[in-house]
Amino acid sequence: MFEIDMLFAFALFSVGLYGVSANHDFLRIFFSLEMLINAVILMLASSAHYLGLTQNLSFAYMVIVLATLEAAVGILIFAAANKFTQEIIPDNFAEEGDK
Amino acid sequence: MNIVLLSVVLGLAIASLSFKKSISALISFALMMLVLGLYYISLDAKLLGLFQIFIYTGGIGVLMLFGITLIGTEFPQTKNNPWTAAVALLFFGVISALFLYSGVAVLPHASVASVEDKTSFAANFSDVVILFALMGSSLLYGTIKMIKVLNPKRRKDV
Repeated sequence: MFEIDMLFAFALFSVGLYGVSANHDFLRIFFSLEMLINAVILMLASSAHYLGLTQNLSFAYMVIVLATLEAAVGILIFAAANKFTQEIIPDNFAEEGDK
Repeated sequence: MNIVLLSVVLGLAIASLSFKKSISALISFALMMLVLGLYYISLDAKLLGLFQIFIYTGGIGVLMLFGITLIGTEFPQTKNNPWTAAVALLFFGVISALFLYSGVAVLPHASVASVEDKTSFAANFSDVVILFALMGSSLLYGTIKMIKVLNPKRRKDV
């Protein structure tokens, strides 16, 4: 079952990778980033369960803390940038800011 | 059972990226995190599962809802690069092949029934409280600061 868990984690990571590279709007990029982080947490949790590497759970908690900080700060930065540029595509922030 | 839960997670992940309406995408994303939390609970990592449900489905879900109030309910139409899906598939293939043929998959499996040792959890309770405090404070900070950013400037006569 460890192999299946890891394969699903790789699949989730690939979906996140596709989302980050294919989408241009802020919210979908954000979803994809969370998927990347959750794939890593899934790997850590399954290795803790199946291989007995219980210290990986501590790493998983730390990753969740980092993900929360990233979400809070990321949405805040987007809100501030959106207020000035009225843009929702991060690539266009710089162009709108120059106008 | 595990395969069913993980398949649902993967399906919801793809759905959250393919929905046009942002509210539907957010609901799909929150459901994905909920099912992932239930999966962790089924792996005997109960605290991790509860963290997942509270933090992702609760905290980050509400923060995303704030984000949607900025964006609106529909995603904009953007040009998609056809190579990105191929690159993601290639990545999945390569990393899976490396994993299956490197010998990591056949590592000896542990015989422990539960990965969360309750005595060590009680001994490290203060650390868990600090983690929760850190996450809660960052979410609160993000929410309050965003309300400040989104508020229009007060008129002088008010």
